[in-house]
Amino acid sequence: MTTTLIKSSKEKKRFKRIQDQFTKSMFLLSAMISSLMILVIILFIAQRGLTPFMPDYKYGTQDLFKFLFGMVWRQDQAIYGVGFIVINTLISGFAALILAFPIAVLTALFSVKIAPKKVGTLLETTIEILASIPSVVYGVFAVGSIVPMIQTIAQGFGIQTAGGSSMLAVILLLAIMILPTITSISITAIKAVDEDLEKASLALGATTTQTNFKIVLSAAKSGIFAGAILGLGRAFGEATAVSMVAGNKMFGPTLDFFDITRTMTSTMLAGLKETIGLDYDIRFSVGLVLMVVILVSNLSINLLKQRIGKQHA
Amino acid sequence: MRKRKLSDILLNSITAISSSITIVLLASIFIFVFKEGLGALSLGMFTQPYWSENYYVSIPQSEGEYVLDTELDEDVYYSSKHGIALRDDLDPQHEAIIVIDYIHPDSSFNALTNKTSGPLEGTEIIINEGMIIRKISYLGTNGVVRSAGPVVKQDAKETVETLEKSDVLSEAFIQSQGGGILGSMIATLYLILISLIIALPIGIMTAIYLNEYAKFHKMAPFIRSSIELLTGVPSIIYGLMGVLVLFPITSAFGANGTSILLGGMTLAVILLPTIIRTTEESLKVVPQNFREASFSLGANQTQTIFKIVLPSALPGILTATILGIGRIIGESAALIYTMGTFINDDPNLLHGATSLAVQIWSIMNGEQPNFALASAISIIILAMVLIMNISVKTISRKLFKRW
Repeated sequence: MTTTLIKSSKEKKRFKRIQDQFTKSMFLLSAMISSLMILVIILFIAQRGLTPFMPDYKYGTQDLFKFLFGMVWRQDQAIYGVGFIVINTLISGFAALILAFPIAVLTALFSVKIAPKKVGTLLETTIEILASIPSVVYGVFAVGSIVPMIQTIAQGFGIQTAGGSSMLAVILLLAIMILPTITSISITAIKAVDEDLEKASLALGATTTQTNFKIVLSAAKSGIFAGAILGLGRAFGEATAVSMVAGNKMFGPTLDFFDITRTMTSTMLAGLKETIGLDYDIRFSVGLVLMVVILVSNLSINLLKQRIGKQHA
Repeated sequence: MRKRKLSDILLNSITAISSSITIVLLASIFIFVFKEGLGALSLGMFTQPYWSENYYVSIPQSEGEYVLDTELDEDVYYSSKHGIALRDDLDPQHEAIIVIDYIHPDSSFNALTNKTSGPLEGTEIIINEGMIIRKISYLGTNGVVRSAGPVVKQDAKETVETLEKSDVLSEAFIQSQGGGILGSMIATLYLILISLIIALPIGIMTAIYLNEYAKFHKMAPFIRSSIELLTGVPSIIYGLMGVLVLFPITSAFGANGTSILLGGMTLAVILLPTIIRTTEESLKVVPQNFREASFSLGANQTQTIFKIVLPSALPGILTATILGIGRIIGESAALIYTMGTFINDDPNLLHGATSLAVQIWSIMNGEQPNFALASAISIIILAMVLIMNISVKTISRKLFKRW
């Protein structure tokens, strides 16, 4: 009797160990899959995006230089120049950031530090709801409200617009869409500021407002900058809403804000229903350029942040 | 001192004004969407297909008088000779249409046969209340076949009067109204199922690995950053990835081109970072004592994880699921590439379809953007998103209460 008990206990221990090894490898496998995803995305899109420029491309090798620096994009004539589109995207993204950033940071500061508690919670909930509204709904709102509004304003100045679809519409739309992102991250950053810093400032005789603007904002600087970077990335990558109000101009870059325009994302979505061959493949190339632009802008802003940090320190 | 107070007041007012912009924004969006869409919103939307069907039918001989036994509304006109009631209405493009309001159970309109030449000629056609009359042909007084309905610019009242004067109706051209979201709702449901079935296990297991096994391992930060990088990728890029990387997998299942399966798999990748992050947070909250107690009782790590840690982390996992569903409902760019933009009234896993959000995109991209319908669907989406947000909030509060 005793010998059988000892045997089954040993077996149980062995089973438990093997089971542990098995589950550990399962979990490890999942973790590997998850962490490799980003690499898969970059590699596959890079590969597919570069194929039109490779020597033996099925539909006729494209000139990389003409693609990157071209100022015309015509589906019907198979002319694909993404240069002006990049400029348009940069203009719209940065303009939206310049518009949204101050409002976002001030709103964050107000809701955390200045407003009474209930108002602060109300603002935070508003931001949360705004952040969860899907892009298509923003697009419908833009086409129905912003675009006609621009049309009326333009007519008041005697400027011709294509029904209101314009660079200005894109910038306003993007500013509205990235506002919640930057605000919510700024709120988190401001909340994380050490209370002692504020108290020290007040003890030295500064008013609350001085403390808020000079101490709290500086202390939350890195978080706020992170919010700005995320917001900018979102502005560059926003697709469905932007394509509803852009207009898709064939050449550029668009410097007249009342003129129709075209961004990288609107290009990737335009005429998707009837594409074949080169026209379909070239969208991957545009996607690749988009990823590079987002990466480069992230790095530049990070560099800028470090420079500003050094100045103040 | 005065200057300081003045500048303080100025700064504070600028801040307050900036903050009110967010509230004004939210209010404008909701007001716009409700103003445009509330009229088009109806319970029927949930059960009707999007595309309108055309029916060219022949009407059998009517059996005399059909007595009205139910109450009809004010502006509904009833033809007792043929057992059908019509009313005026406006279609989404604000054109006048005549809608069938009521069909008497014994009416000959219940036994229509298909008159369109082809394989289905002669088969039975069932029409319902809510369908549109385009034209009804009847035998006139001098034996000539004449037309009644919108085609001769008659409204509901005139059409019914014309029909009452004639004994024999020969044929009719009827349309179903369409504009429904049944197909997209089913497709969205499929999408949610597929993406959660794929993303939840992988995401939860990854979170478990990061928190239970490799917490202080030197590889852990590296794995975490590569997952965090995924959050900065625009969704349209995920669409491109889905078409490139996941398409071969769906082809193996038999899908040719865009499909719900492809869309679901792509969405699973999009959901992954959120699920991992939220699950990891909820795993961290589980007290270490629980695990130690379990070990001291002789359990191995597997048993501890599945029987002790995971159940305690369930509210967090639920939160992650709800956040995921909210993301799925709102996603559009990635699905446009992987699921297509053709509104499918009979969605099938291996064929393209539209989710609710993509249906809005498809409607807005057509020649005549149907604002009313797009806004109505937006209302539905907003309602769903709000419900998700509230659920997440209540669950998080319960989570805090426990510890």
